Amino acid sequence: MTTSPTIVPLIDISGLQYRYPGARADALADLDLQIGKGEFVAVVGANGSGKSTLARLAGGLDKPGAAQRALACGHDLLTEAGRLAARRDVGVLFQNPENQLVAQCVEDDVAFGLENLGWAAPEIRRRVDEMLARFLLEDLRLREPHLLSGGQKQRTALAGVLAIPRRALVLDEPTAMLDPAGRREVQVAVADLHAEGLAIVYVTQEMDEVVAADRVIALERGTEVYSGSPSGLFADTALVRRLRLGLPAAGELALALGERGRGPARLPLTMDELLAHLEGSA
Amino acid sequence: MKATIAQYYPGSSALHRLDPRAKFVAVTALAVTLFVRDSFIGLAVFAGAGALAYGLSRVPVRWFWRAFRPLLWLVGLTFLAQLIFAPGKPFFSIGFIHLSWRGMELAAFLSLRLVVLVLIGSVLTLTTPPIALTDGLAWLGRPLRRLRVPTDELALMVTIALRFIPTLLVEMDTIMRAQRARGADFRSGGLVARARALVPVLVPLFVLSFRRADDLALAMEARCYRPGVVRTRLHPLRAGWRDAVLLVATAGVIVLALLV
Amino acid sequence: MRPAGDGEPRPASAPGGAGMGLSCLGVSFCYEEGGTQLPALRDVNFELPAGGSLALLGASGAGKTTLLQVLRGLDRPDSGAVLLDGVEPDGAAYAGLQREVGLVFQAAEMQLFAATAREDVAFGPRRLGWPEADVATAVDAALDLAGLPAGDFGERHPYSLSGGEQRRLALAGVLAMRPRLLLLDEPFVSLDPGTRRDLVAVLEHLKASEITLLLATHDVDLAWSLCDQRLLLTDGCVEAAGDWDFAGAGGSLLAANRLREPFLVELWRRLGRDPGSAPRTSDEAAKALA
Repeated sequence: MTTSPTIVPLIDISGLQYRYPGARADALADLDLQIGKGEFVAVVGANGSGKSTLARLAGGLDKPGAAQRALACGHDLLTEAGRLAARRDVGVLFQNPENQLVAQCVEDDVAFGLENLGWAAPEIRRRVDEMLARFLLEDLRLREPHLLSGGQKQRTALAGVLAIPRRALVLDEPTAMLDPAGRREVQVAVADLHAEGLAIVYVTQEMDEVVAADRVIALERGTEVYSGSPSGLFADTALVRRLRLGLPAAGELALALGERGRGPARLPLTMDELLAHLEGSA
Repeated sequence: MKATIAQYYPGSSALHRLDPRAKFVAVTALAVTLFVRDSFIGLAVFAGAGALAYGLSRVPVRWFWRAFRPLLWLVGLTFLAQLIFAPGKPFFSIGFIHLSWRGMELAAFLSLRLVVLVLIGSVLTLTTPPIALTDGLAWLGRPLRRLRVPTDELALMVTIALRFIPTLLVEMDTIMRAQRARGADFRSGGLVARARALVPVLVPLFVLSFRRADDLALAMEARCYRPGVVRTRLHPLRAGWRDAVLLVATAGVIVLALLV
Repeated sequence: MRPAGDGEPRPASAPGGAGMGLSCLGVSFCYEEGGTQLPALRDVNFELPAGGSLALLGASGAGKTTLLQVLRGLDRPDSGAVLLDGVEPDGAAYAGLQREVGLVFQAAEMQLFAATAREDVAFGPRRLGWPEADVATAVDAALDLAGLPAGDFGERHPYSLSGGEQRRLALAGVLAMRPRLLLLDEPFVSLDPGTRRDLVAVLEHLKASEITLLLATHDVDLAWSLCDQRLLLTDGCVEAAGDWDFAGAGGSLLAANRLREPFLVELWRRLGRDPGSAPRTSDEAAKALA
């Protein structure tokens, strides 16, 4: 599936292949991915399906094995210069909040990326203050990282990634290590960014995070096996089982009802949809 | 568990606002001359300067005590060694222990000198955030770049290492507890037994650290870090007239100590 | 190998030993940070009968991890006592009972250190002083129980395993010690859905074999489906304990602790049914609705 022909994709990848040194099989094989401006695309798949590899390559952090076309925000990921440029335009947030913070206090960490780009001190100060306000970190400005909660650390990391003005954001299972409160903080921040028009690639194993996406891509052993709406993915129960994905709670209950002949026509993904079906058929 | 290795006490005193490079140069110069000058009066001058600087920093005295306490044993040892083994006519002897006035004088001098050294040094560490100190040292070490020493990268490495020390301490404690819950015993047995008991703690800690290094390098690259490229700073080092005053004052103290 | 503890080699307990009863009586605990005493647990009281299951809920920092470590005996409470099978801490049998309490830490895979899976799992039983033959049996049984068949995984290097497999290996390391009371600190964090389901199946199996389970988790749905009782900790204090339901006062308690209601409870409430009698699993719910 491709995006509408009038929209130039921000991330335009075709035939992508990647193999880890010494590995017996490709991590990514003949993968196509197009992300349009402002799109929120979720990426799912079992462990080892290539999700994280894709995230890194899209951010220009690794050299692709081969590709027919590999453009991120117009930069050619097959060239060194292109990858370096892609790192500027495409932000990447990783799973482990602890292992992304380098500085000894929050504001210094948020400034790190801008320091790397050689911004002048007053500009850095202005942008850091903006990010701290945006991600509700002002009171934590001078706090040391090991005194932050998981959610606070991940927000700090996100602020640091976005301090550099970005055109696209890739998140690799950003809430996996967080408690529900921290998870919500990150989800809200991402939803806001999406509302502001940032293109988002969201790798996740949490099925309720998939529901919020415009489109979901499912990977299996390095190739795409599904690209479409979240409801379409969950409706394909055989695929969901094969990929060892879960279902949102509403979907699971609907499946159980289906086994008793009381299932809905369309698979509900949220409680509201489920209630609509239950009350409708009551 | 909070562990501050570099003992920084946040504040806005005159000393806090000085450039770390000037402070470092001043402290080094004072420390060197401290060991050149061998008189109590000279020592008093240094002590006075140190105390004055400490007062200006407005850091509570108990923080100096915290910095000093680990070295108490060294001071005590120096004192005792000089007391017992120094040359001079003994006025009191038991076995091989000879106490002499000269010995007592020497012991007092050397221990006091150590105290003054710690005083001067701790004024530096208490009033300078570690990142500023490493930045200052990196700048001072800039000439080494000509010898292909990557000073800026080393400074960043030090900053990152310092940042992770508290994290590592917590992780080590957690791993020790997890192994204790499986029956590990870190307290009994001789030195060899206890060293072996630490394997289930050190191996996971190493693995954790290697994985961390990988993750961190990736995260840094994702924020456009490139070794060798000049980086700007949110808090750039800016020397001013106050630093000139510090250096002049330091020179004055040194001259005074050498002359009296 | 020198046995640990009271100098007597402990015989391996019979497989399927009945669960251990747990009583927490007025436990308070402070820990020191930067020169001050910070209270982590305040007068915690609850009972968990042998073979029962309890979900320990609470926001981050509420004291769940601290409580689990005190229950295991890694820390001694400042006041109050933890009774195991009704035995007081100073009783002669207490040390032996403590060795039958297993604690699976958060991100338990961080404890893996040996060269093979079997060696790592054998660490605990060996420290208990069991003869090698018993150790080998316990290790293989534990690996099988944790979903890592000993034949396939026994000689694998722990670090060559996936994240989910490592988590299960760490669990096997605790199960090999044949605990009668199993404490788990957030065992489902950062697991993929497949491994999570596998782990739930392991816990259900353990529950069925009458081991007493105490599970600290922030996954309210799993807490609801796996455990008979619930305990909510807020700032070290017990806000609710026992078989309380999530409706009404229970619901507002959860919200105050930034936890949501279990899905099925909320569904029952919105359907106008009694949330206190909400089913525990999707299958039960489907049966009730069909």
